[in-house]
Amino acid sequence: MMSWTEKYRPKTFNEMVGNKKAIKEIKKWIQAWKNGKPQHPLLLIGPPGTGKTTLAHIIGSHFSDKLELNASDKRSHDLLMNIIGEASTTKSLFNDNLKLIILDEVDGIHGNEDRGGVRAINKIIKESKHPIVLTANDPYSKKLQTIKPACKIITIRKAHPNSIVAFLKRICQKENIEADPKILRELAKRSHGDLRSAINDLEAMAKGEKKIGAELLEAGEKDVFPGLFDAIRAILKSKNIRHIKEAMQIDEDPQLLLEFTAENIPREYEKPHEIRKAYNHLSRADIFFGRATQTRDYIYWRYASEHIGVGVALSKDETYKKFTRYAGPGSFQFFGRTKTKRQIIDNLAEKISKKLHISKKVAITTFPYLKIILEDEKTAQEIRKYLELTNEEFKILKGKRKPSKIKKMEREDPPIKEKQTTLLQFK
Amino acid sequence: MEGPWVEKYRPRTLEDIVGQEHIISRLKRYVEQKSMPNLMFTGPAGVGKTTAALALAKEILGKNWKQNFLELNASDARGIDTVRTNIKNFCRLKPIGAPFRIIFLDEVDNMTRDAQHALRREMEMYTKTAAFILSCNYSSRIIEPLQSRCAIFRFLPLKGHQIKERLKYIAEEEKLDYEPTALDIIAYLSEGDLRKAINILQAAASLQEKITEDTIYEVVSRARPKDVRRMIKTALKGDFMDARNLLREIMILQGVSGEDMVDQIYQEVSRLAMEGSIEVETYIKFVDSIGEYDFRIREGANPRIQLEALLTTFLSK
Repeated sequence: MMSWTEKYRPKTFNEMVGNKKAIKEIKKWIQAWKNGKPQHPLLLIGPPGTGKTTLAHIIGSHFSDKLELNASDKRSHDLLMNIIGEASTTKSLFNDNLKLIILDEVDGIHGNEDRGGVRAINKIIKESKHPIVLTANDPYSKKLQTIKPACKIITIRKAHPNSIVAFLKRICQKENIEADPKILRELAKRSHGDLRSAINDLEAMAKGEKKIGAELLEAGEKDVFPGLFDAIRAILKSKNIRHIKEAMQIDEDPQLLLEFTAENIPREYEKPHEIRKAYNHLSRADIFFGRATQTRDYIYWRYASEHIGVGVALSKDETYKKFTRYAGPGSFQFFGRTKTKRQIIDNLAEKISKKLHISKKVAITTFPYLKIILEDEKTAQEIRKYLELTNEEFKILKGKRKPSKIKKMEREDPPIKEKQTTLLQFK
Repeated sequence: MEGPWVEKYRPRTLEDIVGQEHIISRLKRYVEQKSMPNLMFTGPAGVGKTTAALALAKEILGKNWKQNFLELNASDARGIDTVRTNIKNFCRLKPIGAPFRIIFLDEVDNMTRDAQHALRREMEMYTKTAAFILSCNYSSRIIEPLQSRCAIFRFLPLKGHQIKERLKYIAEEEKLDYEPTALDIIAYLSEGDLRKAINILQAAASLQEKITEDTIYEVVSRARPKDVRRMIKTALKGDFMDARNLLREIMILQGVSGEDMVDQIYQEVSRLAMEGSIEVETYIKFVDSIGEYDFRIREGANPRIQLEALLTTFLSK
């Protein structure tokens, strides 16, 4: 089945979102070729999901044919020369038989596999008699250094949230989905101008649905910690170091960021080894926090941050194409919900620690024994007086009285002697 | 009005302390000389560190010991500054009706290095008026300069027969009806921790008229948190979110510390392996990760995060 990003990929310049000025330039460039005036190659530079590849294909539709290579192809020198070198130099007799050569994501060329790739591209640019369009994400990439001067550079900008909302709305209409405008706005905002990711999110959330309501979004998540959820989303959804680091530049306590990331790891990642790997990075991060506190040298925070961000991000095999509802740390909610009870327990531990000359920590370890000791009424009253316990504290320590049946069941679970039959398998 | 037996039967004099003979004889010398250096007591829980400090204070300071003795916990929730303020206020005053004053500071190994350095300065400032007794589980976590300013006493886990003797004494005093082998079981299960042993004995006495081996097993089984076992089994089934929720419940609501959690997880995993619920190969892998995270807890900032990470190592592939 065709993904929505394919299904709704613009086929003409008019369908494109934003970038009116860039499109005007491009149209001029096409016209010049048609008029028999060869032009410098076009280099479209812009962030992911802004429509560079789509534009390249639309440009291609104005020529008689197109040849495309993208980052996933092996771009060794020879390969490039074979495919493009030949295609670009053998020019037919007629101007109207121009083939558009598309080189996608040229700043993605790297490593041994693509050895000589940049050199080859330069050669093609020099020798080609055909129009060429190149695309790239990173305007400052070293790989573009020698390519840029030979090209006409067109900057492609992120789409405005309103344009994204409009685009998503159109999709919903065509798919017969009734969508709460709030949710579309939220998706647009989250995408940070990346239309493709907005469409992916919408598809994950709405495919097969008749209606999508705002309750799908975590209530109020944006209001309490504005940048935090964006950072979490970048960490869990992206593998792009630059993107992650940018999203993490927020004014929040890094230990809070760790808690938020921890909370959402199992919400996003599904495979145990991914969860394990990600949590191992959090564990390492926590050790750096520990070192910072021990030595009061907060330089260690930056290593912790790298573990939380890049470490956790790289723990996934690949990005999950799904919509995940992120949540605030469950532990915090738990702290809030149990505040009164914890307060009582804390007071109780404090009292016992004073009376029995032990620390609160040790006091807590004696609770289970005290609980059993208190089952004897007479002893219970004596100890209650001795420890000067309030009604509430006494009740908490004593625990709920269990009917004798349950007690019996617990007795069936003696230590050491117990034999278990189930054998859990591990591979 | 009587306290729990752990308090009721706490030895009041150095003479009555169970075991640790080499330490006690030295402490008695301090009493004879009416002077003492700064001391550091290290050793596991329930082996007599606090009892020794209290008895020493009583004997060396005489009848006014209470006014001249300050007991503090270094891991006081109100922060180390409160602890230091208390020390300062206490030391500013001259000893009343005693040769000097004693400050007993428990769990010093939970102090940060900075706080330990500050403590060192305070110890120097008040050498004329006060003596310190520092107590900790691990002396390795105490900074060198603090260690070098103290006479160090290493308390050993109590031997089985020492624990049994004490339990027998208490049982006679309380006129308990018991099977002698029950006391052996307690001595074995308490792992050298006399406080734990006495708590088990009193709990057993509350449960049944006659204390048998089965009574002891029941006490230990009931005192053991069921949730830890459930948490591990949930993780083994691959349900990380639920296992994590259980962990949070135990740590946050029941207030169980990170160290105690590791301890209990280790115990339960061992038990599961003995029962055959975990294969041996897997067991040894688990033990290794428990050890690793035990170490990380000591190094890290947030024990709960470390334990959540430990749980992920139990998830089946």
